[in-house]
Amino acid sequence: MVLVLALGDLHIPHRAPDLPAKFKSMLVPGKIQHIICTGNLCIKEVHDYLKSLCPDLHVTRGEYDEDARYPENKTLTIGQFKLGICHGHQVIPWGDLDSLAMLQRQLDVDILVTGHTHQFKAYKHEGGVVINPGSATGAYSSITYDVNPSFVLMDIDGLRVVVYVYELIDGEVKVDKIDFKKNATTHVSH
Amino acid sequence: MSESSIEPPLRRFSNLRSVRWRVDLGILPCSDSSSIDDLRRAAADSRRRYASLRRRLLIDSHLPADENVSSDLVIDNPLSQNPDSKWGRLFRNAELEKVVDEDLSRLYPEDGSYFQTPACQAMLRRILLLWCIRHPEYGYRQGMHELLAPLVYVLHVDLDHLSRVRKLHEDCFIDVFDGNNSFPDVDLISNYRFQKTNKWDSVPGKGNDSHESTPKTSSIDDLDPETKEIFLLSDPYGAEGELGIILSERFMEHDAYSKFDALMNGANDGVISMAEFFSPALSIGSSSGLPPIIEASSALYHLLSVVDSSLHSHFVELGVEPQYFALRWLRVLFGREFALDDLLLVWDELFASSNHMCIESNTEYSFKLLCSGRGAFIAALAVSMLLHLRSSLLATENATSCLQRLLNFPQNVDMKKLIEKAKALQGLALDVGCSSTSSHFSISKNNLAVRRGYSLPTGSASPKSPNHSLPDSYWEERWRVLHKEEALKKGNKSLGERFNLSRTESDPSPAKNAQTKARAPSATVRRRLFDDSPKDTRKSDADDGRSRCDENPAAPIESVSLSNKADREKQFEEEGSSSGENSSVLSATLSHDESIGNDPENESEKSSVTSNSFIGDNDEESCSQEFIISQAVQEAEAASSSAKAERAGSLLEKSASLKEKKPLSSKLQWLWKFGRASGEANTEKGGAEDSEKQSSVNNGKDSSCCSAPNGTCNSCEATSRRVDVGDTKVMGTLKNLGQSMLENIQVIESVFSEDNLSSSNVLGGKGQATAMAALKELRKISNLLCEM
Repeated sequence: MVLVLALGDLHIPHRAPDLPAKFKSMLVPGKIQHIICTGNLCIKEVHDYLKSLCPDLHVTRGEYDEDARYPENKTLTIGQFKLGICHGHQVIPWGDLDSLAMLQRQLDVDILVTGHTHQFKAYKHEGGVVINPGSATGAYSSITYDVNPSFVLMDIDGLRVVVYVYELIDGEVKVDKIDFKKNATTHVSH
Repeated sequence: MSESSIEPPLRRFSNLRSVRWRVDLGILPCSDSSSIDDLRRAAADSRRRYASLRRRLLIDSHLPADENVSSDLVIDNPLSQNPDSKWGRLFRNAELEKVVDEDLSRLYPEDGSYFQTPACQAMLRRILLLWCIRHPEYGYRQGMHELLAPLVYVLHVDLDHLSRVRKLHEDCFIDVFDGNNSFPDVDLISNYRFQKTNKWDSVPGKGNDSHESTPKTSSIDDLDPETKEIFLLSDPYGAEGELGIILSERFMEHDAYSKFDALMNGANDGVISMAEFFSPALSIGSSSGLPPIIEASSALYHLLSVVDSSLHSHFVELGVEPQYFALRWLRVLFGREFALDDLLLVWDELFASSNHMCIESNTEYSFKLLCSGRGAFIAALAVSMLLHLRSSLLATENATSCLQRLLNFPQNVDMKKLIEKAKALQGLALDVGCSSTSSHFSISKNNLAVRRGYSLPTGSASPKSPNHSLPDSYWEERWRVLHKEEALKKGNKSLGERFNLSRTESDPSPAKNAQTKARAPSATVRRRLFDDSPKDTRKSDADDGRSRCDENPAAPIESVSLSNKADREKQFEEEGSSSGENSSVLSATLSHDESIGNDPENESEKSSVTSNSFIGDNDEESCSQEFIISQAVQEAEAASSSAKAERAGSLLEKSASLKEKKPLSSKLQWLWKFGRASGEANTEKGGAEDSEKQSSVNNGKDSSCCSAPNGTCNSCEATSRRVDVGDTKVMGTLKNLGQSMLENIQVIESVFSEDNLSSSNVLGGKGQATAMAALKELRKISNLLCEM
């Protein structure tokens, strides 16, 4: 059982002062084993804060990130799953499933996590998952002003991943759950 | 197991410790009449309980939550703040597991230790986790794993034993089984066997391994009962089937858990539940209002003060609180003080003691620990451990070194002796526990005694001031007597006064009798402790006389004792030792008239003692007077606390040396000398606490060795009269005498070594040499006595 936190597009301090207090109180050290961040943090302080939640932090570069050393995309293996991270501003049209699926095939990953649109999305696609955790601070995007803060927590256990979606709607945290099972044959064919 | 031979009937399952412990801990039915089937049912029940618990608490919580989709995601999500949520529990358990693992990896880490095998570690972890989850109010505390380990270990050992027995009987059984198929008899066991052979056909695998343990049919009665028992306990076809096998490897974990649970919770309303020792919460039902572990520690000190007041006061002087060391001793039940094999012996005894409240449930008690047989044994063992270290502890000069010795308990201890001693003390502990409940008055008294012990400022306990508040310090008294002797020597005091002193000391016997009955048993136990060997009827007439005098201290009988005393003095003269001069003076002045005449005066003095204040006078007369008063004060104080009798007891060793002298041949006359020498050593030891005063004392001693003997003599007189010697056994006392002498030797040695190290000392080369010579001879005589 491994917990992986996926979030992105915080845009601190340009578009949002901080993470919502409710999120901050939920995110405590010791529970999460990995953090995946799609980018646009944008400053080092946020990076440090995430590091304090869990030292195993993986970040890709968004277009507003100050730190230029973040890679454009990144892959890592957790348990039986291979995960790919990318901010998503490079994938056009933005948020398009087919384009993202192309990236997924390109990176050869089971789970692709992207951002940039500030809209939570999760697709099961071609034996894999494409997830967009949305904006953790609810920062506006170039697409929409009406953004609910959201992030995603993945519970990876063997061949099974449970995606918990945390969304702040009208000051209340709403939790949703998506189950995804990877069948062993898919894995072999890869 | 060594103890089982002592108990009247050999205990059931004496060779199967794990089964015995399970009976003692109340998991299996305890009555001897209960059949194997009863045992099996009880075992199966406890295993079922564990299995369901494990399923509910450990396995289910890890199962994917497919079936309960309805669960509220706001509560049941990984980041939930709700501690009752599934995830909250999960994280807590993970935390717990980490802590438990840290401890388990350090559990008996010796190479090849059974506990370090992965299988055992996993089992221990599951048991601990489950118990802690089940009892969130206690949680996991360091030390619990060390309580569990021996419980698992005995199961392991017994299973080993079982497989050995199986192997042993394998061949002989198989031969006959194949050879003849006749099953004679309607014997219960052969019934089992018959049943088994039927099933064996259908279930070959299982039948095979079971029938290995079955002895040959025709000779099943030839087998020794032990093997028969083992067979019965491992028979898979009795009641409850395989679940009921008493000795089963598969259910080792279940059994270990139920034992651990029983130990921690004090199964069946037991008094001692180890879990309490780990919790900081106040103990329930006790009047002390302290956390249980602290209360238990002070109960331990209370018992120590009753048994050995000098050691207790030494601790108090040094400021060594009982919980400093008792915390460790009690929490893991001495697991860190003894090697595992020794520990098993201790626990044998411990579990064999009943864990039930031995007093009425609604009475108030001050020490919960001392209210049950098991608790009393714990306290008694701790005290006997302290007594084992007694001499080296008394030689310590500060709390640090004292604790160092306490916390590094020697490994090469004679466990049998230690346990025997503890068993002897157990009765006393129970008496103390019960007596403190007998009336509210005595409760307050006991509390008072304890509190006074604690509140003593450590510095004030020096022997300089005669009116210091340590009521039961053996060394103080000794020093005072000695000091008086010196004063007498210098000032050529009237010896009537001096006799007064011994009269005053012997006086408390009526007071003692008037004490609450609680003291009577303690006194007898005390005696038992010091001479706990078979009775010997050798008694001298003088002893009789003295004992009578002890019982009724009326004047006429007093005279008998006095004449006895005179006899003794003559003997001293014959000795022609260096003390001859003093003893002759003593005997010359022993007259009935004076002593009787002094009696009332003495009494009146005693009664008016409280109004007297001490005048630090240098005049010899007032000095000796002062001593009488201080003695009397001491008596009065001591009478108020139950510690008085114990002081007498500690002097008993000395008096024993006196008594021995008479029946023994004249060759043993020199024993007396050594007794004196050891007395002197004791004085020296006492003096060591106050080096300034000691210098004068030592000087006096070095010059002629005369004063100390007198002091010893006087105190011995007093104590020998105080103690009821009617049933004193010469052999027992001799043995104890040898031990006490050994202790004395150790004290002398330690004092000497310290003295040598520290500085140029009051002990000149000459004094040291003589003391060393005395030491040598002491060794000799102790050897001689021990042989006897």
